Amino acid sequence: MTKLTVISGGLRQPSSTRLLADRITAAVQAELARFTITASSSMIELRPLGHAIIDAMLTGLANAELEFAFETVANADGLIAVTPAFNVSYSGLFKSFFDVLPQETLYDMPVLIAATGGTERHSLVLEHALRPMFSYLHAIVAPTGVYAATNDFGAHGGSVGLAERISKAANDFARLLRACGNRTRRDAFTEDLTEMQRLLTAASKPSEDATVED
Amino acid sequence: MAGMQFGIFSVGDVTPDPLTGVAPSEVERIRAMVTIAKKAEEVGLDVFATGEHHNPPFVPSSPTTLLGYIAGQTERLILSTSTTLITTNDPVKIAEDFSMLQHLAGGRVDLMLGRGNTGPVYPWFGQDIRDAIPLTVEHYGLLRRLWREKVVDWSGKYRTPLQGFTLAPQPLDGVPPFVWHGSIRTPEVAEIAAYYGDGFFANHIFWPPSHTRRMVQLYRERFEHYGHGSGDQAIVGLGGHVFMRPNSQDAVAEFRPYFDNAPVYGHGPSLEEFAAQTPLTVGSPQQVIDRTLGFRNYAGDYQRQFFLLDHAGLPLKTVLEQLDLLGEQVIPVLRKEFQVGRSQHVPDAPTHESLVRTKTAETKPSKISSSGQGQQS
Repeated sequence: MTKLTVISGGLRQPSSTRLLADRITAAVQAELARFTITASSSMIELRPLGHAIIDAMLTGLANAELEFAFETVANADGLIAVTPAFNVSYSGLFKSFFDVLPQETLYDMPVLIAATGGTERHSLVLEHALRPMFSYLHAIVAPTGVYAATNDFGAHGGSVGLAERISKAANDFARLLRACGNRTRRDAFTEDLTEMQRLLTAASKPSEDATVED
Repeated sequence: MAGMQFGIFSVGDVTPDPLTGVAPSEVERIRAMVTIAKKAEEVGLDVFATGEHHNPPFVPSSPTTLLGYIAGQTERLILSTSTTLITTNDPVKIAEDFSMLQHLAGGRVDLMLGRGNTGPVYPWFGQDIRDAIPLTVEHYGLLRRLWREKVVDWSGKYRTPLQGFTLAPQPLDGVPPFVWHGSIRTPEVAEIAAYYGDGFFANHIFWPPSHTRRMVQLYRERFEHYGHGSGDQAIVGLGGHVFMRPNSQDAVAEFRPYFDNAPVYGHGPSLEEFAAQTPLTVGSPQQVIDRTLGFRNYAGDYQRQFFLLDHAGLPLKTVLEQLDLLGEQVIPVLRKEFQVGRSQHVPDAPTHESLVRTKTAETKPSKISSSGQGQQS
């Protein structure tokens, strides 16, 4: 069983970003099914978390819903992250979610990046915005992302190859997921503790010898 | 004083009153802190603790000066900090300042150590925030030796070496002040407190109970692991955050503008959301009593409860009214109720007197004092 978590930064109802996220998820599940791997998926819509995300940024405190979203990401074996392109980048809400996500959460996490936008001219948003951010967060970003423009959803004569692009990205991501296997969640809490124990033990060594009782 | 200790901890912020837009001057704020501390003793609280900050809009950059002045005007109150920066202060100076304060205050002194999370402060004192954790370990290791050894030879990474250094004055009665380690969110603090068998103070007030439960539980487990006693004998303190009026609706209405504009959480979650997620209690004294008694459901029997009262631009008069309510209606009930069902082997918070008794008992193992009142100074 592979656990997929899907993040959609779409704002409207219906949302083309959510639509793209759902299509990619289904394609990835279909790819994994070819290798008899069942994949569950959990969808995180960022819109209802908007206030909580900003509150967490201001106070450092995540409410229960946001905490649940963090856990859902942390427990995943792979992440599908889809944002609308705003002003030649990811949306501020999408970025803010990752700004408040606890550090190390995405360490070693396979991630498929995708974005929607009004025009194909912004397709490099995947490469200049999403990919560097996830690389910085130590995720393993799949080489193929998906960018869908208004044309893909609305052009006369149908989509210009979106289904094929999704299929190609899903195929790549499924191979990455299979290679990575089920993910061991990194426990920053325990790692910090181990490091502190090491420091304390090292620090107390010389003083023990030199202790003078008064 | 048997059982729990109750006190207030002050950040020392200079914040405009959102109702008037007027901030107190620095001297007004400093004098208000003194008035608040004296009032704390008058209404029967046990401890007053001040923060340490080195930048506006805060005033307490020199905590032992403030506490020494308060010590001269109080009789009973224990003077403490919340927190003393173990990273950016020279441990030699911390040792000197608090030894001196102990002598002046007749032993009514302890301190709470913290790292400090304001990046720019570190270089002002020749340090680097990226070294905060190893700095804490090294500085505290030295501080302990300075208070326990007559002549100290020491060398480390973050400070010039010491050759044949002797602290003056020596700790009062040869007993160092009790040390708490204050934590907002990191497990390292619980570990260092447990390692040395010191107190662990969970700030508590910006976090959900699940977080505090985990931190306190970790500290108790590690305290036992390091052989200082059973987990429920570890020394735990918690922060609290209250605003009271006899009628809870009045409390909410009066506190809301201060909450909404407070420097830390203002313009963020609503008062109701924050009160649901954190220990903040805005309501009647009875609501404060009920909420506070609930802390022990997840922290176990503990030793020290602090409240944050003077902040966010609340007028001095209001803060003093809060202290009256706390002292008259809340603390007496908490003192009594926290004793109910408290295990006999759960210790009280260490005081200078109790530490002197322990030391005396250790020095003369054949004759263990049981009078319980033996102040040595």
